[in-house]
Amino acid sequence: MTEGGTRAPAVAPARRNGTIFEADGVVKRFGGIRALDGANLSVGKGTITALIGPNGAGKTTFFNVVTGFYRSDGGRAAFGGRDVLGHPPYAIARLGMVRTFQITKALARMPVIDNMMLGAPDQPGERLLNVVFRPAAWRRREAEVREQAMELLEIFNLTPLADAYAGTLSGGQRKLLELARALMTRPRFLLLDEPMAGINPTLGRRLLDHMQRLRREEDVTFLFIEHDMEVVMNHADRVIVMAQGRVIADGEPHEVRRDQAVIDAYLGSGTVAAEEQ
Amino acid sequence: MLELLTNPPIALTFQSFTDIDFWTSVGILAGIYTIFTLGLQLNVGFTGIFNFGQAAFMAIGAYSMAILVTEAHMSFWLSLPISILIAIAFGLIVGLPSLRLRTDYFAIATIAAAEAIRLFALNARELTGGAQGTFGFGDDWDSVSETIEGWIADIGWTDVPTLFPLFLVVWAVALVLMLVMSRVQETPWGRVLRAIREDEDAARALGKNAFAYKLQSLAIAATLGAISGFFLALNLKFVVPEEFLPIVTFIGYACLILGGMASYWGVAVGAVILWSVLEGLRFLELPLSETRIAALRFLILGLVLIGLMAFRPQGIFGKREEMVLGD
Repeated sequence: MTEGGTRAPAVAPARRNGTIFEADGVVKRFGGIRALDGANLSVGKGTITALIGPNGAGKTTFFNVVTGFYRSDGGRAAFGGRDVLGHPPYAIARLGMVRTFQITKALARMPVIDNMMLGAPDQPGERLLNVVFRPAAWRRREAEVREQAMELLEIFNLTPLADAYAGTLSGGQRKLLELARALMTRPRFLLLDEPMAGINPTLGRRLLDHMQRLRREEDVTFLFIEHDMEVVMNHADRVIVMAQGRVIADGEPHEVRRDQAVIDAYLGSGTVAAEEQ
Repeated sequence: MLELLTNPPIALTFQSFTDIDFWTSVGILAGIYTIFTLGLQLNVGFTGIFNFGQAAFMAIGAYSMAILVTEAHMSFWLSLPISILIAIAFGLIVGLPSLRLRTDYFAIATIAAAEAIRLFALNARELTGGAQGTFGFGDDWDSVSETIEGWIADIGWTDVPTLFPLFLVVWAVALVLMLVMSRVQETPWGRVLRAIREDEDAARALGKNAFAYKLQSLAIAATLGAISGFFLALNLKFVVPEEFLPIVTFIGYACLILGGMASYWGVAVGAVILWSVLEGLRFLELPLSETRIAALRFLILGLVLIGLMAFRPQGIFGKREEMVLGD
């Protein structure tokens, strides 16, 4: 890793478990601005990968494009070998590639438990015909789902709030609810947009522990956008750095923090540079 | 001046308040609007899509039934499900392009579609009878009505108002529909709708095909609108375009707001109160011309709604927490 501003991104070494997600030259334009300007990255299966970069680097736009919320203007992205660009968000989520939002989307006028149960896949009662003709099937599934939801709420310390309207939760609690709700979908690949923002350190640690456990026990892969360098350096297996719509570095935390391109990109915000000292 | 004191300008004619024929008519209107507004409640209160074209579904229900019976000589009973299917098809035609739009654009698209239907009915004279309307479709219903009248007579009530059987059937149907809608709302399907109301993107991120659910919501509203149209037609005994002006949808919204959001039972209460006030005010005797009194009724209704918004924004059955919560 040496100086030199505009060289190709560091090629990540082959991963033990292979790749679960790969983006190749993803482009997104807003008018004349190329918010994503050919972003290439891959995420190893079973890793906890951090996506960092200065404001405006295109991190959230990247999430929006690869999860189907924005239409891409070029490139390709594949999850588990299947192309995802051009597919609607719900279809991508059903493949097991599930995202959360930077600004939480708590379903305010629904109780916390309903927020959770909504996330469950394979609920036959979500189809109108089954509601009428298979009442026993969906009621049985509903009972299972409620149990799973309560277990997850326990892990995130939200049990006492199960029946509260989600709109009454604090900002940090909403973050936890959103993550817990995403976990209800039984994802294989979770894209978390600043999951720690607004959470107190104790809960933040709990959340990180839970991510580690899910990765270990259920082989869930994480890609998370984070600004807190301490979290990134201590908890991520790999770090991908974006700037101006491109990936400028990709490697293990200790490699990335010494990368000259990264230090240059952060000049002004100074976060990584400060870490160096 | 002295005359005013001895003959107060405001008075109510009390015998009208006990007039059963009158209240039967009011009850039928309230029942029709209950069914009509159940569709709005599903769309607005539970799915978060602002359907301003409910009058079109009512019109399609009423006209399809009338035309199928009088022109195609179809059985009245068979015409009902077919008319519902036509209303659903229209709902899908309107919804497919417009439900992908933002809610405010969808509202505009639906009100435009509803007006298009009304103007079509006004001008397609061959098919609809134009401004004169269509009539002569009620024979099958009349025999049902007589049968019900016979049953009532058997219990011992002989001077039954002519419209009383219709009143009974409208409300029986309305109650069944309220019950069904309330039950369905409590299922996982209903939960997805509420999630879409709260935040469509969150629902999509969790694997829900929001667009398909919004279409289903609109199709069910179309069904309810068409059913209300059948009863409207049977009540009037004819179908004319002016019964489907946009104000019909707005009155539905007034019932919705009065009763409260996200409550199917509130819809019935809202419709009963609205029509009782609106029609009851007819008996207000003021030194004004008929047309002015007619206008005054809506003025008073407007004031009631403003007062409600100020002091009880959640309506009668709505939950206050649900009014104040939001992201």
